[in-house]
Amino acid sequence: MSSTGDIGGLWAAPDERTVLVSTGEIAVAVHPQRLVTPALGSCIGLTLWDAFTRRGGMAHIMLPSPSETRLGGLADRFASVAVPRLAEAVAGGVPRRRLVAKIAGGSTMFGGDAGMASIGVRNAEAVKHELGQLRIPLLAEDIGGTHARTMELYLDTGLVVVRSYRYGIREL
Amino acid sequence: MDPRSLTAIQRDALGEVGSIGAGHAATALSQMLGMPVDIDVPDLQVLSIPEVPTVLGGPENLVGAVYSRLLGDLGGGLLFVLERDAFLQLSDLLRSRAPGTSKSLGAAEEATVTHAASVLLSAYLAAVARLTELSTLPGPPEFAFDMSGAILEGVTTQVGLKAETAILVLTRFSALETSVDAALFYLPDPDSLDVMLGRLGVL
Repeated sequence: MSSTGDIGGLWAAPDERTVLVSTGEIAVAVHPQRLVTPALGSCIGLTLWDAFTRRGGMAHIMLPSPSETRLGGLADRFASVAVPRLAEAVAGGVPRRRLVAKIAGGSTMFGGDAGMASIGVRNAEAVKHELGQLRIPLLAEDIGGTHARTMELYLDTGLVVVRSYRYGIREL
Repeated sequence: MDPRSLTAIQRDALGEVGSIGAGHAATALSQMLGMPVDIDVPDLQVLSIPEVPTVLGGPENLVGAVYSRLLGDLGGGLLFVLERDAFLQLSDLLRSRAPGTSKSLGAAEEATVTHAASVLLSAYLAAVARLTELSTLPGPPEFAFDMSGAILEGVTTQVGLKAETAILVLTRFSALETSVDAALFYLPDPDSLDVMLGRLGVL
């Protein structure tokens, strides 16, 4: 495990063009903005991007569907709600077939607890299922493992950068 | 139960349990180290689950954490969290080395701190069990060292399927010239919180 300082220099600092997506939220942005969601554990970061308008969206999804819990809260934390809503918000009237998706996250931070161990995997499955329903192609993924990830979407090229303490920087 | 609906008396009662638990943990730590360990009066906060990932210095802050699920009469989980530097300091303390000796996290540091944290969680839980006259046990400890946001999120996602409240005890343990800041989260499921408050006579 490297120290904070080793990787620290490479981490992009947030600036005025950064749109931060918190846990259980969705957001849409246009180039030259970029979308960032920090510290994905068992959650899934989903990006949708339209190359033509250089518009994109990001969701930070916590659970597969609302049937998992009887408590209220942000509806966009569920895959079954957030994926269709994000697709609608990014497309905004233009053909949805231009959208492409990438996902990251779905790791297992504490492996020994049976309930917790499966959440990341089930989240990834649920997001892929929803994308399939909407016929949005999944171009790349960086999921699973036992480490945390931060995900960024650059809206000019559709490049997704995944950062982690364990593996440094990965481009999707 | 929503944390905002707790009355002042209920908060005080939970705070009292928190400080007695932290006191037990300090006694256990002092016995492990064979030297006196002081404990600062802990800062106690009752948080709603969505607020939890925002504490501890931002989501990408590097922390070490030990999680135990609760078994027995109370359901939920206990999470012990240290920032990276505090983690290494605690490891030095436990291994009788000069503060600052540990520069990085290895298997030895991980095992030492995991076991110590497990004892501290058990000591805390013993205090809860005694005050409430309930039988409750910590599950096997799980270790993680990564971004605080992801660790807290993982735990609160699992517990958050049922729980709405987290009780955060911020504690400073001091031994010799070293002092270590630790955060202990107690995440009871709502029924357990009601049971606890009932047993404390403040429901």
